[in-house]
Amino acid sequence: VSVISELSHIKVEHPKTDAQRRAQRKAAGRDNKAGYLFLLPWLVGLFVITIGPLIASLYLSFTEYSLIESPTWIGLDNYTRMIDDVRLHQALWVTFIYVVVSVPLQLALALAIAILLNQGMRGLALYRSVFYLPSMLGASVAIALLWTQMFGTDGLVNQVLRLFGVNATTGWVSSPDTALSTLILLHVWTFGSPMVIFLAGLRQIPQMYYEAAAVDGASRWRRFRQITLPLLSPIIFFNLVLQIIGSFQSFTQAHVVSNGTGAPSDSTLFYTLYLYIRGFGEFEMGYAAAMAWLLVIIVGAATALNFFAAKYWVFYDD
Amino acid sequence: MTLNRRQFLTGGLAVAATSMGLTACGGDGGGGGGGDGSADLQFAWWGNPVRNKNTADAIAAYTQANPKVKVSQQPGEFSTYWDKLATQTAGNKAPDIIQMDMAYISEYGKRKALLDLEKYGLDTSKFVEGSVDSGKIDGKLVGVNAGINTPTILANPKVFEKAKVELPDDTTWTWDQARELCAEITAKAGGGITGMGVFFNDAMISAWLRQNGKEIFSESGLGFEAGDVVAWFEMVAAYSQAKAIPSPSLYTEEVKKPLDQSALCVGKAAMQMQWSNQVEAASKAGGTEMTVLRFPSVSGKAADRKAWYKASMLWSASSRTKYPEEAVKMINWWVNSPECANINLAERGVPPNTEILAAIRSKLGPEQAKVAKFIEDIKPELADTPIAPPPGGGKINDTLVRYETDVLFGRTSPADAAAKFVDEAKANLK
Repeated sequence: VSVISELSHIKVEHPKTDAQRRAQRKAAGRDNKAGYLFLLPWLVGLFVITIGPLIASLYLSFTEYSLIESPTWIGLDNYTRMIDDVRLHQALWVTFIYVVVSVPLQLALALAIAILLNQGMRGLALYRSVFYLPSMLGASVAIALLWTQMFGTDGLVNQVLRLFGVNATTGWVSSPDTALSTLILLHVWTFGSPMVIFLAGLRQIPQMYYEAAAVDGASRWRRFRQITLPLLSPIIFFNLVLQIIGSFQSFTQAHVVSNGTGAPSDSTLFYTLYLYIRGFGEFEMGYAAAMAWLLVIIVGAATALNFFAAKYWVFYDD
Repeated sequence: MTLNRRQFLTGGLAVAATSMGLTACGGDGGGGGGGDGSADLQFAWWGNPVRNKNTADAIAAYTQANPKVKVSQQPGEFSTYWDKLATQTAGNKAPDIIQMDMAYISEYGKRKALLDLEKYGLDTSKFVEGSVDSGKIDGKLVGVNAGINTPTILANPKVFEKAKVELPDDTTWTWDQARELCAEITAKAGGGITGMGVFFNDAMISAWLRQNGKEIFSESGLGFEAGDVVAWFEMVAAYSQAKAIPSPSLYTEEVKKPLDQSALCVGKAAMQMQWSNQVEAASKAGGTEMTVLRFPSVSGKAADRKAWYKASMLWSASSRTKYPEEAVKMINWWVNSPECANINLAERGVPPNTEILAAIRSKLGPEQAKVAKFIEDIKPELADTPIAPPPGGGKINDTLVRYETDVLFGRTSPADAAAKFVDEAKANLK
């Protein structure tokens, strides 16, 4: 936050003569060239690896394409078929619930832990790493497999529950009623990366605000509400946007837990998992491409909505 | 100002990130031409460590005898094999020789991605009756049987002993008797052991439908209507109620377990549906000699159970191969030469070539010999070979299991499940 605000305070000298203006423009041009040079690796990646396939997938979304035969143009058929595709609706519903429940929970937990770690405790580096670990592992196949075992019918969680006399005979990941909640829990548990970003944001808030508030007798809660939250709101916003986009695309956990089928009873049929089933399992790559573009529209709309709402709650200190 | 830049970047990020899933494909052209007899063949298969070694050995033997042929190996694992094959085919880079599965053969064959093997001189004259037709799509032999398979019920004798229950007479048992037996085992064995593990899959519903005068697939699409399978879903519910199978959530987990972790092999179930080429692996994993049983019948007579031979896997060649003669020549060697059979034995299933089987018979281990005998014994019980699943039919087992799960958890009535299952299975067929 403060880096941005610092930068905004640097005053640019207004040119007074033509010569000065030319010199300034020249310097700016040099800066731009250097900037593009530094961007080059990313730009090459964007145009070669991303844009080409992006356009190809847009084209394929208007075709019937089995992967084995060449694509044939069918216009909007793939999109109109979505209206009657019950499993697509289920996939949208599952993904929507997943995003709406897991993202706020995860961010709240990340913020809470970040505030805790920001109390100037000793061994911060260690705790920070420990809390960050799940984020590095969470999307991995190994952890998803581990969770499948832990939350299975005779898994560790149920065994512990049985020790306490709970008659736990249903597996958490293998019952349609609880499978999605278990995946949400797994996602919330990987709060490390938003936490690290929050922690960095918290450290940017000038201590003097808190001191001044304390002198005025503001309570801890009040200091949090009136100082921390507003000054942290751009960071919260940043995390929110990224996590929503990421969660819409969750794939690995559901793929591993359900063995790639969305089982039990399609309760873990994430959108991208269904897209994958359609494209590679059922040889409907055209339909899968159309699904990808529907997801682009949905994620784009969610992000636009986020930016619109941001006007009302994100506070830029500049 | 800043807002706009962020807006732009995040928007772009969303588009880019979302499209990532579809950008991972690609490919380029293959190698150069071929003169007389020389070829550079790509050879793809899925397998296990034993099969990988056998296959590599056999390829080495072939290239030694045919020095002009170079073979590049593409071993794989079943679950990822098909994604790779589809992507390779899309990129015009399909392997020349492809280990194929019945579930996918029409997907590729009907779309003309596979070579007509007979046209290039494949010889199936020594093959046992009923083992060639399953590889024919639209009258062309696009896949040749690599080993005979038949659906069986495997029984773990240790669990039967533990429950103090006799093995059933598999020539007379019905689906209802099987349920009663399983319920009895569950009640007597205790310790979370059930009579049956995974049971209600596409092979079993196929058997049951055939016994009721239907087929799972017909030439014109699905071979049955919703009314024909209501009783099937009722049977699933009845097995569950009688505790003949594990609890709904355990059964759900069971379905996705690999063989060596399955209830049958870890001693948690007395029986389980299994294809005959898995008998050896199941016995090894279970640490006991599994007993091979016939699946039940509706009438209680084994002669009516409408059994069939299925190709455990098939050998196909890409229709776009640069070396059709050489590819078929190698497949021919693979299925018709004692030299190759001596290396592979019955690991891919019992060899369909009767002379080859006779030649390697004495070399088979006890488990493979047991399967070979079973395959011969059931000959009088065979009915017509079911047709290959049409395009879009390869995943019918996933659909079936999903609606069975709904019934097991009491989320749907058998009648509703039957109607929805038929609707979806029909919609998937192309």
